[in-house]
Amino acid sequence: MLVIENLKYRHERGEMDYRFDLEIERGKIAGLTGPSGAGKSTLLDLIAGFLPPDSGDVVLDGRSIIGLAPENRPVSILFQADNLFDHLSAGANVALGISSKARADSPEVEKALADMGLSGLSKRQAANLSGGQKQRVALARTLLRNKPVLLLDEPFTGLDEETAHAMRAIIREIVARQGWYAILVSHDKEDIAALAQNHYRLENGRSHKV
Amino acid sequence: MKKPSQPFADLSRTGLPDLRWRPGRVLAGFFIALCIALLIGALLAALTFAGRSFATTGSTVADIGHLVRMSAIQAGTSTLLSLIVGVVLAWSLDRLRFFGRGLIVGLLSSALVLPSLVVVSGLIAIWGRVGWANLVLAPFGISTGASIYGFWGIVAAHVLLNGAFAARVLLDRLEAIPPEKLKLGRSLGLSTVQRFKIIDLPAILSSIPGIGATIFLLCFTSFAIVLVLGGGPANQTLEVAIYEAVRLDFDLGAAVRLALVQLVVCAAIIIPASTLTPAANLFGRRSELHWPEGMLVSAVQTVLLIGLLACFCAPLLAVLLRGSGTAMASLFGQASFWQAAGTSLWIGLASAAVSLGLAIGLGMARSLQRRNSPARMILGVPVFTYLAVPAVVLSLGFFLLARFVGVGPAQAAPLVLVIANALLSLPFVFATLSPPLEALAARHTKLIRSLGLSGLAQWRWVEWPLLGRPMGYAFAVAFVFSLGDLGVISLFGTSDFSTLPWLMYRAFGAYRTNDAEAIAAVMLIVAVVAFVVIPRIFEFLTHARD
Repeated sequence: MLVIENLKYRHERGEMDYRFDLEIERGKIAGLTGPSGAGKSTLLDLIAGFLPPDSGDVVLDGRSIIGLAPENRPVSILFQADNLFDHLSAGANVALGISSKARADSPEVEKALADMGLSGLSKRQAANLSGGQKQRVALARTLLRNKPVLLLDEPFTGLDEETAHAMRAIIREIVARQGWYAILVSHDKEDIAALAQNHYRLENGRSHKV
Repeated sequence: MKKPSQPFADLSRTGLPDLRWRPGRVLAGFFIALCIALLIGALLAALTFAGRSFATTGSTVADIGHLVRMSAIQAGTSTLLSLIVGVVLAWSLDRLRFFGRGLIVGLLSSALVLPSLVVVSGLIAIWGRVGWANLVLAPFGISTGASIYGFWGIVAAHVLLNGAFAARVLLDRLEAIPPEKLKLGRSLGLSTVQRFKIIDLPAILSSIPGIGATIFLLCFTSFAIVLVLGGGPANQTLEVAIYEAVRLDFDLGAAVRLALVQLVVCAAIIIPASTLTPAANLFGRRSELHWPEGMLVSAVQTVLLIGLLACFCAPLLAVLLRGSGTAMASLFGQASFWQAAGTSLWIGLASAAVSLGLAIGLGMARSLQRRNSPARMILGVPVFTYLAVPAVVLSLGFFLLARFVGVGPAQAAPLVLVIANALLSLPFVFATLSPPLEALAARHTKLIRSLGLSGLAQWRWVEWPLLGRPMGYAFAVAFVFSLGDLGVISLFGTSDFSTLPWLMYRAFGAYRTNDAEAIAAVMLIVAVVAFVVIPRIFEFLTHARD
């Protein structure tokens, strides 16, 4: 179980106090919706460790991860954009998820790309990939990193309907198969309906289970 | 697309440096800042101590009030005219599209570091007694005489260099106007005047005080231009007076007093100026939308652009034409030229490497700190060395420091030239590298951190390839800056230890005009080649990518 417990945060500018309480079961996806400024991205930054909470805890399988630096947290993130280094090849981007010494043409990189339907694209520069291909390369890297918490920050925005549909299916399958805990932030009700087993709505800095 | 946010903006809520992410980089940045501060402190201490120790011999007769007044009038006039030229050039270039526009923008970018002696030589070649202008006017019985020497000659040289600099920065501001504003203005059918008042002016107005202050300071502390074109004590600046006190009058006491006055005046300008909008940011967002003016205004802009560019390019062309051919062949036969060229080359390369290292160290540490934090400000302070402590004052400080530690000027000269030129070019190198470093941090830090990349991996995979182009350009800027330096070498140069500018100045002084023009041509060619070749070498080494 991933438990976000009474996680409080106040921005330095101090417009709003945030307080979040969520529970996500293994292999499930929790959908997060809410108006702009409600705190969706703030919550993801708190879980990933990019923001330090004022109080509260993030507990994964009974173990607090709140004291860990972002690079040491068992968390992978899929942003809306900028998931890849555009100047590197698809394979090099995936290899960076294993280690900085891993080779872009190693069998595990090739396999991860093949699992995402991207066979033969290992050498292509990321800048030359389509939006959907970029997201799948990032997912291939996520798969190889195998971190149990997956944060999805509007990952389907900007994708055409067909690609978004395929991406949703891949994510649902991976999360269930790997037994990960995923949180999906989206403005799109269709994303939430298609993927999320639980639905939380953020309003005025508070989380409410729908 | 989401707007990239400042990474970890809330990680440190104190005013202390944030050491939780890449502490090695942060500490390295502070170490560099500390070393520069200690060095400047030692130089100032040497100046102050010397001020107490050396009584003036009385051989230097310098009216400090007059020097400050004349420098201020000259710098004020140069600044005003540079800003006017800059606005007109930027406005015209923003509207017009033509073949070679990129080359002209590149030329404007390099104007600030173009060796001033090259421009001086070009102006003399056109407006001097035997210049082109007099050759053309002679059949009509008209002569410009030696009008290039004196107040207006100095102003002309300053406007050539700084007008181009102002134009480059202002063009950047105009090109960064959001396309939505241009679309709105176009749909409202704004006239040329309305467009300038409503859209252009707000975009450039905030930059004017910063650019103006920078140009004023550069002209106030101008050395090479005033030394050659000054035409006597009436138009001297403090920098030239310091040089003459040391080299001509051997009056160290007077030199130190003048240097201390110069420092106080510079500090009085730099402190309020540093609160103004920073001037140099050549890597802003570019608007793709082009909204040209109507036929008549476009024609006016074309005429203005051709006229101003002719004024800028003609001296450079004159340098090339007059300095090449037999003059250059004769120069190549002189051993002193090859010795000076070799010295200029290795000192330029070494100081550029040092400057690049310092700028990367400071820039990396700075990009890891919160906006408006004291830590960030501290890391930016060393960058202002050049503006706060001008070349000749810095050189005098090193000169005295070397004396105090018992090292002769001849032995100290190579190291002093490398360090001083690295410090002097630091503002330009930093201004080139800081924006892309900040952009990299804003865009990629979350991903880098979530992937757990080491500092070395970050450098190898992300920063080295992506910074290749700006690093190459910054290196070229520092190299050319050092290549054209006359301020530092002026107190250390001898017949045995010489650089190209020093050799050129001595040729001017000995009325060997042909040699001086040939050296100017060589310096111009080397500067252009450096700007073309060095960035490409870096691109090749880094496999640079956008």
